[in-house]
Amino acid sequence: MTYQTIALFRYLMLGIISRRLFVLLAVLLLAAVLAGGFIHELTIINGAAIVSAFIADFMRYCLALLALLTVASAVAEDYESRQFERLLTMPLARWQYIAAQALVIACLCLLLVVPVLLLVSFYGGVALGVYWAGALWLELMLISLLGLLAILSLEKVPLAVFFALAIYLLAKLSGLITLMLAESVRLSDGSASSRALELIFGAILYVIPDNGSFAQNNVFFESADLLATFADQLLSVSIYALFLLAVSLVDFYRKEFSF
Amino acid sequence: MRRSERPLLSLPRPLLFAFLLLLGLQALHHHFDQRSLETRYRPLGQPFSAAVYRGLAMGSEQLFGYLLAIRLQLHDNQVGRHFRYQLIDYDLLVDWLDQISGVSDGTEYPMLLASRVYTATGDHAQLRRILEFIERRFDDDPQLHWRRLAEASVIAKHKLGDLDMALGMARKLARQPASVVMPQWARDFEFLLLAELNEVESAIAIIQAMLQSGSVRDPDELRFLQSKLSEFQQKLFESQQSSQN
Repeated sequence: MTYQTIALFRYLMLGIISRRLFVLLAVLLLAAVLAGGFIHELTIINGAAIVSAFIADFMRYCLALLALLTVASAVAEDYESRQFERLLTMPLARWQYIAAQALVIACLCLLLVVPVLLLVSFYGGVALGVYWAGALWLELMLISLLGLLAILSLEKVPLAVFFALAIYLLAKLSGLITLMLAESVRLSDGSASSRALELIFGAILYVIPDNGSFAQNNVFFESADLLATFADQLLSVSIYALFLLAVSLVDFYRKEFSF
Repeated sequence: MRRSERPLLSLPRPLLFAFLLLLGLQALHHHFDQRSLETRYRPLGQPFSAAVYRGLAMGSEQLFGYLLAIRLQLHDNQVGRHFRYQLIDYDLLVDWLDQISGVSDGTEYPMLLASRVYTATGDHAQLRRILEFIERRFDDDPQLHWRRLAEASVIAKHKLGDLDMALGMARKLARQPASVVMPQWARDFEFLLLAELNEVESAIAIIQAMLQSGSVRDPDELRFLQSKLSEFQQKLFESQQSSQN
């Protein structure tokens, strides 16, 4: 069973790795270096830290989008080419497909963070480079798994990307949204609708990743315990990733495939 | 061999006339272009509150604060040229600097912009506004901002010509506890300014207190304080003599 899963993983991985992916990665790295150089020219003090943090964040958002699009397109292709129907004629359980996809995501994210490790280590030092690569790997895993769940459920790339990005941004901007809702309650003198909205959003927060699940960019400016920060993130991401895999499995097992 | 030149007036009159006309035209064009350029200056907008910026930063508050500061720093460069600081609304500018300070705690950038960039204005009201900002924000983190307050004190004295304001800042520096590590010269500002304000007796009292407290241990600094003490005592003696005569 393990051998079958690994064989499926190898097959799926070969479908993702392409020259286009490496070219895109090289272009992103070049863009990050150029934009970082421009920012460095503008800074008066603390230029090195600002540039490292900028490059790290630039790569974070670009790679999140790249990983999401890659995973969503690969699974969408499986739908379009009726790959699932073919796979299900083989002695393979559905969970094995999800497990193989999870492995693909882990390897893809690893592949994406290696150049970031080198780049951030060059600009910000090895310790920060290693932390950022590890933390970014976890963050990319999270958004890719969100993308996997979205594409398995919605079956269309634009919808899946929109859904995954919406969840990602909702989690990232939860602080701002909470602030706006609290302000809206205050300005409306505690109206029922404002309070209801605040309660609903409070409930939504329980099922989206919290701030601790993402790489912490502030470490470039503050002396933080990198290991402890990473351990916190690892715990948050592990729990949320397992939750996403469970939802993906439930959804995938409920699907009917006609032969 | 030196080539000789024909006198200017011997040139054809239409050519001379055209030259003068075009020179005037160019000067006029430049003059009106400068004025029209200033009307193209886009003023600073009202900033959001620091809490909103912190939310928008998506977890990268420090980086976002720095990027906001850089954006503010570039504000006076528009349409490919640098605009005079007098065009900037300093009330809004101070509001921006306050919000940026609130976004990224522990950053020196807004204070540095205030003391090194925005004090370059020639307008005394604007200068006073920015110096007041530095004096106010110094209290957030005296250890981080003592250099900025020392600079502000010098600017208040020499550029603004407000010795009282400079003395207030110098006094703030001098009164910082020993836990705030800064060079002794920053603490010496107070008595130096007092002497300039002809309050020599107060300056002498401060130096004597410093020497007696034992807080100054550096031999060079001790020598400096003792020489200043002698100088001020001499000055006081001379002024007492002249008043008796």
